[in-house]
Amino acid sequence: MPPWSDFEPFIVSGLALGGVYALSGVGLVVLYRATGVLYLAFGAVGALGALIAWSLVTKADAPGWAAWLAGIATAAAVTLGYGLIFGPALSRRDPLVKAVATIGLTLILYGAMDLLWTTSGGQARSLTLPTDNGGFSIGQIQVNWTQVIALAAGVVITVGTGAFLRYTKLGTAMRAMANDREITATLGVPVRKVEAAAWLGCGVLAGIAGLLLADLVALDATTLTFLVISSLAAVLIARLRSITLTFAAAILVGLLHDLLTPITSLTNYRDMTPFVIAAVGLLVLSRRQVMSQSREEA
Amino acid sequence: MRDTLVRATPLRTRQKPSRTQLISAAVTTALLLFTLFALPQLLSLYYIDTMTQVAVYSMVTLALGVLVGRVGLVSLGQVAVLAIGAWAAARLLFATTQPYPLILLEAGLITMVAGLIIGLPALRLRGLYLALITLMFAGAITVVLATVNFPNGGHGFTGYNGSLVHIPPIRRPAVAGSDPAYFRYSVVVAILMFALVYAHIKTRPGRAWAAIRQSEPAALAAGINTWLYKLWAFALASFITGVAGGVLAGAVHYLYSIDFPTQDSITLLAVTLMGGVYSMWGAVVAALLYQFLPALLNNWGVSADWLIILFGLGVLQVLTTAPAGLADQVPKDLARLGRRLRGRARPKPEPAPKPEPAETKP
Repeated sequence: MPPWSDFEPFIVSGLALGGVYALSGVGLVVLYRATGVLYLAFGAVGALGALIAWSLVTKADAPGWAAWLAGIATAAAVTLGYGLIFGPALSRRDPLVKAVATIGLTLILYGAMDLLWTTSGGQARSLTLPTDNGGFSIGQIQVNWTQVIALAAGVVITVGTGAFLRYTKLGTAMRAMANDREITATLGVPVRKVEAAAWLGCGVLAGIAGLLLADLVALDATTLTFLVISSLAAVLIARLRSITLTFAAAILVGLLHDLLTPITSLTNYRDMTPFVIAAVGLLVLSRRQVMSQSREEA
Repeated sequence: MRDTLVRATPLRTRQKPSRTQLISAAVTTALLLFTLFALPQLLSLYYIDTMTQVAVYSMVTLALGVLVGRVGLVSLGQVAVLAIGAWAAARLLFATTQPYPLILLEAGLITMVAGLIIGLPALRLRGLYLALITLMFAGAITVVLATVNFPNGGHGFTGYNGSLVHIPPIRRPAVAGSDPAYFRYSVVVAILMFALVYAHIKTRPGRAWAAIRQSEPAALAAGINTWLYKLWAFALASFITGVAGGVLAGAVHYLYSIDFPTQDSITLLAVTLMGGVYSMWGAVVAALLYQFLPALLNNWGVSADWLIILFGLGVLQVLTTAPAGLADQVPKDLARLGRRLRGRARPKPEPAPKPEPAETKP
């Protein structure tokens, strides 16, 4: 077992990673509750936003903030567009069908990104946020502002979304739709508009998560697209319901993943963390499963 | 009394085969004979290797098609299952001198046990959650394989030796050393697997699966042991995929864990849906899409990324308008086209007569 001081830097990076997973997880849960769609293209639209931001900064010399906003806007626009076209078309189908349909969008975006930003060029791209340079240290540990932002974003988004769902009219409508779409529609809630708002919000979160992960992990279409599989772990433990539980699980996944790094015998297996936690969590939590004929599969 | 619903409504009736059945059997036989004897003569080595891959992946898509189309279980981890089969076969091929068919059988059985170990807990979940937990298992298996590595002739349980300079190739059966011969060998194995699935579909398991796919509570109420038959489907799919992994090991000679990324399971589901999960032809179409088209585009110098985009569009199209996939849609569209072409020469009889029959006459 390595000394404790070896673990310290990984607490910071683990918390940062956990913060982004939490941000992604909350976006996924809110969209799933409001529309019944598990958005597997979350990573792909984030990657697209990050790559567009990168192109604007390096190729077009755009100012950083404009490029990042453009990246987030692209992710939001693609997500909203998909939601407007395929949301209503598949609204009465099984959640599984809706999720698999977003795999279609994932593949389209992934193929397009690989065509436009070819990886065979050799040199690795990197997206650095200005917050990488500044920072402070706690004891021996260096902390940069991006890591602070990542964790803070996770906390702020979780708390903010919780408050939004609890206190605003739109949030109440989303919670109502999570319970029953038909009854909510009967009560005069503009179902389509509420769904569109959920898609837009999820897209914005995907864009932010994409930018942060491009900085914290790597700016690479394949990595970012399929990093959603790791984010799914937190969502699955929360059984696609509670955003508080999603946040806790995401921090746990991020922390455990990075804390395994200094342990030599386990370091090669650290990428298994999200999968193992999700599998164990799902199986333990699924014991009280009731077979039902309703569309709400749980 | 078990399986009362299934027994009360037998799908198979003892009748003489109809004309269309005879024709389709004849066409299938002719196609198989053509594939086995004529195709290797016509193709270059590049395409023979490609077609061997098609034969391997037709088994993988067949297994996934059984799960998705027959039973209604979606698995997002089949490439990891294929990797387990390939690993087991490679390990046995290096460790023993057993005949190849025996090794294939053993690889299939080992993969089946692995599939059951995953399936036993996973099958408590349904629908979306089942799909996602298979994805999680696949991710975990991929990480383990990346660390353990595929056997390369080393010793010990893993059979991997990182410092080997001359890595021996994974052997092929003595009767099928050359590429064309190995292609024929893989097609024969694939035919056996298709026959195995056909036998399942036409008998009691197939009827139980059909009932489960329609409605699990109804199947349960009819006395079908849904747990057993779902696990059976999982085991069958794992077995077939494991055998496919064994054939793959001999086909490529060298295996690397990087060739089995988790995301390929997602693409595999996409092509399987595109090919069609309700017919066994769909598996062949899916394998052609997955292995033959990339090779063709590569030969033409077109980026395979276009194909990924096409697969994405295909999934959306299948889910929104054509649930039975290309294997169902293309013959229908061709028939419609044929009717339209013939209709130009002579008016076709309307399926639903219109109020003014005068309009249909020229």
